Amino acid sequence: MASHAIETFALTKRFGDTEALKDLDLEVSEGEVVGILGPNGAGKTTLIRLLLGLLMPSAGRAEIFGLDCHSQTVEAHRRLAYVAGESNLWPTLTGAETLYLLGQVQGRVDTQYREVLVERFELDVTKKVRALSKGNRQKLSLVAALMTRADLLVLDEPTSGLDPLMEQAFRTCIAEARVQGQSVLLSSHILSEVEVLCDRIGILRAGVLVEMGTLAEMRHLSALTVEATFDGAVPDLSRVPGVTMVEVLGSSVKCQVSGTVEPLLRVLADSGVRELLSREPSLEELFLAHYGSATTGQSDASNAC
Amino acid sequence: MLVEVQSEASSDSGAVSSTVIARVTARKAVRSGFGWGLVFGFYVATQALAYATSYPTVASRELLVQEFGSNPGVSALVGPATQLDTVPGYTAWKCLAVLAITAAVWGILSSTRLTRGEEDAGRWELLLAGQTTRRGAATQALVGMGAGLVVLFITSGVIIVATGRRSDIGMGTSGALFLTLAIVAGAAMFSALGALAGQLSSTRRQASGYASALLGASYAIRMVADSDTSLGWLRWLSPLGWIEELRPLTRPNPLALVPIAVLTAVAVLFTVYLAGRRDLGASTLPDRSSSKAHLRLLSGQAGLALRLMRPTLVSWAAAIIAYGLLLGSIAKSGGKIMTSSPSMQLVFERLGVTGAEAYLGFALLVMAMALCFVAAGQISATRAEESSGRLEYLLVRPLSRTSWLGCRVALATGILVAGGLLAGLSTWAGAAANHAGVRFSPMIGASINVVPPALLLLGVGVAVYGALPRVAVSVTYAVLVWSLLVEITSGVVNVNHWMIDTSMFHQMAAAPSVPVDWTTNAVMVAIGALSALLGLGAFARRDLKGE
Ligand SMILES: Nc1ncnc2c1ncn2[C@@H]1O[C@H](COP(=O)(O)OP(=O)(O)OP(=O)(O)O)[C@@H](O)[C@H]1O
Ligand SMILES: [Mg+2]
Repeated sequence: MASHAIETFALTKRFGDTEALKDLDLEVSEGEVVGILGPNGAGKTTLIRLLLGLLMPSAGRAEIFGLDCHSQTVEAHRRLAYVAGESNLWPTLTGAETLYLLGQVQGRVDTQYREVLVERFELDVTKKVRALSKGNRQKLSLVAALMTRADLLVLDEPTSGLDPLMEQAFRTCIAEARVQGQSVLLSSHILSEVEVLCDRIGILRAGVLVEMGTLAEMRHLSALTVEATFDGAVPDLSRVPGVTMVEVLGSSVKCQVSGTVEPLLRVLADSGVRELLSREPSLEELFLAHYGSATTGQSDASNAC
Repeated sequence: MLVEVQSEASSDSGAVSSTVIARVTARKAVRSGFGWGLVFGFYVATQALAYATSYPTVASRELLVQEFGSNPGVSALVGPATQLDTVPGYTAWKCLAVLAITAAVWGILSSTRLTRGEEDAGRWELLLAGQTTRRGAATQALVGMGAGLVVLFITSGVIIVATGRRSDIGMGTSGALFLTLAIVAGAAMFSALGALAGQLSSTRRQASGYASALLGASYAIRMVADSDTSLGWLRWLSPLGWIEELRPLTRPNPLALVPIAVLTAVAVLFTVYLAGRRDLGASTLPDRSSSKAHLRLLSGQAGLALRLMRPTLVSWAAAIIAYGLLLGSIAKSGGKIMTSSPSMQLVFERLGVTGAEAYLGFALLVMAMALCFVAAGQISATRAEESSGRLEYLLVRPLSRTSWLGCRVALATGILVAGGLLAGLSTWAGAAANHAGVRFSPMIGASINVVPPALLLLGVGVAVYGALPRVAVSVTYAVLVWSLLVEITSGVVNVNHWMIDTSMFHQMAAAPSVPVDWTTNAVMVAIGALSALLGLGAFARRDLKGE
């Protein structure tokens, strides 16, 4: 039964008039590392807070290891750990006190691993939280979550504020978690992070999961990038069926093709093409393709940037 | 709110204007000053008009003088009543102490919010952006606060003057203005002290704590001064005493404006001076940034709550003990004056209480009020855990919402009961040390008796918190202030009876001068418990909400 770490069933959340999440069906298998990408205001944080029982769904439901997120919260929480993008810890407690407290409330701590993490993230645990920088507070939150070695890690932009070295330390931790068979749900704006860490990637836009799959699958399904250089004038490619995101740079042009490439090839052949390069899109390009259409479709995303 | 400030900052031709902090502060202070000016003005107007209609004849007014003119319990609470047989004399007595204290609380809350609070929220960093110095920023905030005070004065002044000029009221324009000035003096002094406290401490909460402690101390000193005529000189040691010494509408004494002006000016100058000597977000008083781990209390959420509340609880306990000892020690003289009229003596003899016990019946009401502030503070602390996002760290772990809130309510209940016992015991100890003739067992009952209003308020606060978290703190304080105002207003003028009944203090029997009314207490606790249960239910079913 519990072969899924996370499973949601038509999960929906409305805030007044805004529908932050629409009929979302998501599955994360045990031991899987899943990344969620999406523009600002897409609903990533909303999804995660629903899974944690911090928000109540407007419709639908969600399960963690087969436990209902809203009626069996305590049982579900025994098996997960969470890091938010912003660390609002108790300012008067020191790092050590915070870790002790949160370990006690969790009821399960790998103390040896905690020491490893404190060292790896170069944390000064004698300092009071109010004297820590934003990045150091974030590191404290990360250690507090990772030290439990929970079966499921739910991470909402966990590396916001971390320097590149610490970002690397974080990646090491997730790699370790994978080896241990822990499941991970990670929301992020850092594409390389998601590309390196995640087995599967979901793209959320305006509350809808518009794409979900492995990077390879997504590349396969989506557009091919074509770059062509011409001897003469650059033809107008924007009306060719299947072609999107046309960018003209001097005598060369870059565009995306989905579906059959035949119409494009015909136009190119007629226009005296000198060089032709085609490749699968990078994650960034996939991502921009989805984000780009989001900007026109949703107002929140456009003012958020 | 952040967005609002940003748009304000950028609306001036794109560049951040150098007076933006003054304008932002002023706008908020003026809005609040206008609202409270209306409240103060109408409060004075209703008091004056109600008296003029309720006591139209000389005979009826003389009765009032007999009853309250020499009552030391009442005089200790709100100051001595000197000319109760005239409308201005009565109005001044009825309004001055109450409104000056309310104005002082307003001053503390507004100035700490608008100076330290805005700074803590990081809004100044946004606005400053190198445009002005820290000292400049503090000066601007003070100017903005000053604008609020001016509006408070004008708004309440207009209503009070309009009322005072009526022929049946007869305050005269200058008298009415002097009364307004005396009330606003409380706001001026304590907003300046609040701003100063904001420079000394490292958070807004701490700053309000320091300033409130000063207000409490100055109330206590004034109370002693008004309890015993031989101690009248003590009034000159208390800012609230200075306001009383102004004696508007009876025997005006503008000389008392001197210490008021000096204190305000010194506090303002010191605020500006200190502001230049510290970093944004830091405190002037030493504040250690690292420490050894103290893990004893941190094995669960209850311990955490206690640890976080410890400084507040310690100061409340100290204040209650000091106040109790003080009340106890003046109970003897208070009781003597109280039983000096034969009819009153007969009443108390029939009830089987001593003079000092009769006096304490009045005085312990203050303890009930203090405990209600503790209760409201608990609601505010509970909400702060949620709005700051810290609660999430607990609730994403195996801890249910019901256990979290239930535990906080249980803790608060324990704290309130302990506070009540502390109040009763310290009062008894103060009285016993003075051989005032206060017996121990009635005092135990009397100290339990001050708790139910606070428990009722706690329950109501939890109910609102469960259903409407964002307004929970304001609603709780509104209920408290309403009860305080109704309680202090009632008793003399015949206000509508069901309105008096809405004050939880009015439901409380004045033990030990009369027997404790256990039935009413049980009803209050039951209503509180029921509301708390409703709140728990609602809290388990709603979204967590930030600021
Ligand atoms: N408490 C709330 N009240 C009203 N609307 C909300 C609330 N929380 C989120 N929203 C709205 O729901 C939508 C999704 O927000 P959410 O925070 O989930 O986005 P996100 O994907 O996490 O964005 P980001 O990348 O900026 O973190 C947005 O349109 C947001 O304005
Ligand atoms: Mg987010």
